[in-house]
Amino acid sequence: MLRQLGPFIVASVPIIILLLIVLVLIFATGFANLGSSFWGSDWNPPKAWGIAVFVVGSFVTAIPALFLAMAIGLGLAIASTVYLPRWATRILDPFVDLLAGIPSVVYGIWGYLLVAPYFGKVLNPWVYAHFSFIPGFGGRAPISDGLGLPISIFLLTLMALPITTLLIRDSLRSLPRELWESGLGMGATRWEATRRIAIPYGSRGILSAGFLGFGRAFGETVAVAMVLNVMAAYPVNFYSATGTMASQMFLNLDAAFGSSSWLAALSYMALVLLAISLAVNLIGRRLVARVVSYEVAGL
Amino acid sequence: MANALGGAKETLGEELLYDRSARTRWRLGFDKWIGRLLPLLFIVAILPILDLVYYVASNALPTLTWTILTSTNPYAPDALGVPIISTAEMMTAATLVAVVLGLFGGVATAEFLSDRTAAIVRTSANMLVGTPSVVLGYMGYFLFCVRFGWGLTFIAGAFTLAFFMTPYIFRIADLAFTSIPRHIREAALGSGARPYQYVVRVGAPIAFPQILNGVFLAMAIGVGETAPIVLTTTASKVLPTGAFSPVSFLTATIWENFSQPSGSPEIALAFQAALLVVIVVVGLNVIVRIISARYQRRLEGLFQ
Amino acid sequence: MSGTLPDAGGPVISVQHLSVKARARAILDDINLDFGRSSLTAVIGPSGCGKTTFVRTLNRMAELTPGLTVEGSVLYLGQNIYDTQVNPVMVRRRIGMVFQRPTVFPTSVFENAAFGLRLIHEDEDTIDKRVTEGLQQAGLWEEVKDDLDRAALSLSGGQQQRLCIARALSVQPKVILLDEPCSALDPAATQRVEATMEFLKQNYVLILVTHNVGQAARVSDRIAVLSSGRLIEVGATADVLERPQQAFTEQFITGRFT
Ligand SMILES: Nc1ncnc2c1ncn2[C@@H]1O[C@H](COP(=O)(O)OP(=O)(O)O)[C@@H](O)[C@H]1O
Ligand SMILES: [Mg+2]
Repeated sequence: MLRQLGPFIVASVPIIILLLIVLVLIFATGFANLGSSFWGSDWNPPKAWGIAVFVVGSFVTAIPALFLAMAIGLGLAIASTVYLPRWATRILDPFVDLLAGIPSVVYGIWGYLLVAPYFGKVLNPWVYAHFSFIPGFGGRAPISDGLGLPISIFLLTLMALPITTLLIRDSLRSLPRELWESGLGMGATRWEATRRIAIPYGSRGILSAGFLGFGRAFGETVAVAMVLNVMAAYPVNFYSATGTMASQMFLNLDAAFGSSSWLAALSYMALVLLAISLAVNLIGRRLVARVVSYEVAGL
Repeated sequence: MANALGGAKETLGEELLYDRSARTRWRLGFDKWIGRLLPLLFIVAILPILDLVYYVASNALPTLTWTILTSTNPYAPDALGVPIISTAEMMTAATLVAVVLGLFGGVATAEFLSDRTAAIVRTSANMLVGTPSVVLGYMGYFLFCVRFGWGLTFIAGAFTLAFFMTPYIFRIADLAFTSIPRHIREAALGSGARPYQYVVRVGAPIAFPQILNGVFLAMAIGVGETAPIVLTTTASKVLPTGAFSPVSFLTATIWENFSQPSGSPEIALAFQAALLVVIVVVGLNVIVRIISARYQRRLEGLFQ
Repeated sequence: MSGTLPDAGGPVISVQHLSVKARARAILDDINLDFGRSSLTAVIGPSGCGKTTFVRTLNRMAELTPGLTVEGSVLYLGQNIYDTQVNPVMVRRRIGMVFQRPTVFPTSVFENAAFGLRLIHEDEDTIDKRVTEGLQQAGLWEEVKDDLDRAALSLSGGQQQRLCIARALSVQPKVILLDEPCSALDPAATQRVEATMEFLKQNYVLILVTHNVGQAARVSDRIAVLSSGRLIEVGATADVLERPQQAFTEQFITGRFT
């Protein structure tokens, strides 16, 4: 152990940074007591510090994005591992990887100026006109600027998609060739062998894709801050705005300057966001052995 | 037994052709159609990318001039020179710090730590990658800007960015050394080399391309970050004059100008900044792909 | 020929002018061979001579390997399985396969044996019945009947291999291809699998790939010898082993090759 001390100090950089983040945030709260309102729904500085709205908002945006990214990612992964010829996957797969490379602020400006107006003028009114009988899709009419949940979920889906696709692809590829062939050798179609052998075999990896994709969507900041029309209110229906922890933290640090309880509230919020993100990440990474393709892709 | 040959019921090979039971038709048809439909999902990935790049380019290029790219005039509404140069300077500083922290850390993890300790360190690097960038921005703000009293300056932004980039370089350095074939390591150590001599003389030349890759990758990710920069620096219209002066950044320029009225020079500036960032990020990713393909072949060569 | 059972309606599988190429290289060269009813044919030859490739062409598994081209025809009860209208999925239901190493799926023993039946939506009673039959015929029933829900991967290697045989039997194929099924097993497990094969050959067409002459001698009715992709000798087991026609065969069975 002692021989390892020198290398350990050098190697512990990530541990130190992680500890630094936690400690700095804890001290930034000044251990302020924000009273009973903290876990409540009323965010009204400097009187009330209910962060529940933002916790809920983070989940409400991230979970639908996760489901979409998992469904599409599963489809893309199956298409590229099972059905497409190699030359086609070599051309197509990099586009998915490229989605991970586009900076979120660029997603944001595209979403805000081009996609949101489309949602506002076309998509949301259409959904409202045809599906308002579904709970959550009726009620207050969508606003024409298009900012709000649908566009946020759309952008978050695109951002989580490379993560889910890549890891599901890896899990499906980890299936030993003989198992795949003995499935087909029993007279299974490729689809049946995928559904009954490859997916169960790679289930941990697929689950892991879910956790890590969720983590990505849950912590996304700038793009959401640009298109969600962030506000401290629960969403009233599918088309409305709300706030997420990350976007609220990002947009309010300036305003909080000089108010120790406001800074404390934001720091507590940062700790909650960090705790959830780390927990989700830890579970996601625990489910699979080291994911080399992730490290190489920077995910 | 029903399946005994020459038994009660004889089936002909033609059943292979004419088995047209509803269940069989459904199975074969489903497989055929799902195989045709699933690849269409790639539209979901490809269309947004093409649309996004086209939209940004078509809004950036018509008004883009050489003067805009190079002008550092603080009074012109359409000068990108300051953000471009500032970004280059910030990236240089942050990359240097991140390489120092990440490279040595990663190598030490791969070569000198016991498996259990290495697992802990790797997990924390992964946790760091999973930390939302806004949280890291908060850390930078409270630590560098407030506690250290640096204010919203170049050095605060560069260090925050460096912390952000470190785990990526760390993981790739670690990976580059752990993926060197065992027999090469054993041969070096067996012929009397000390571990650090192995690292420097044998390991480093082999791992170098992948580590370079990791650095480019971290740069691609860092140059596209917005939240940590916006939280720890203040927008500046002039070039930084020192570590403690205000600074601008390309992504910050986009953030500050994205809600300007359409047609204004400011919104054009946002698009031009976005185009530049996309070009840099995609360019770095292409370089990374090329290097890693070559490296993979080289590594495979080593296993023979 | 084995000739222990009457040859009611011609061969079950008839291989005609079968050649396989990888790029320009010939892996199999103009093979002609019939497989009759209720027999066990051993395909022997040194490693790399094309045994695996040969059996994989018999149920269209060969086309899963990129780069291989198959020429000639394989008639199954008179129908060429390489006809463009024939779906390989249908071929493989009738011509099952057991691999070199056990390939159980990571589910229970029961679900492994029921795999092929679930695909065609058999009802639960039929599935129960056929799983039981399959396990009995594979000689595994007594060992697993008390706990069919245990994980298949918890079985021993020999049991796993017999489970793979049971899995192949459950969909009632006529032909079973076995590619060196014992090469990963210890002698005791090998003996169990050989006993299973001897039982099965009464009712199925078995084609066994092996590089072990002793095994061929113990279980087969007929031997086909492959050398560098060519079929050089076929005959009843006793004839081939005692009076080989080819010098190569003699060298091989006396152990001068591996
Ligand atoms: N996909 C392939 N591409 C090129 N050569 C192949 C391929 N598959 C098998 N071969 C070659 O064909 C020959 C026969 O292989 P195989 O059928 O596996 O032999 P056996 O099972 O008798 O050991 C070997 O020399 C092998 O190298
Ligand atoms: Mg073989």
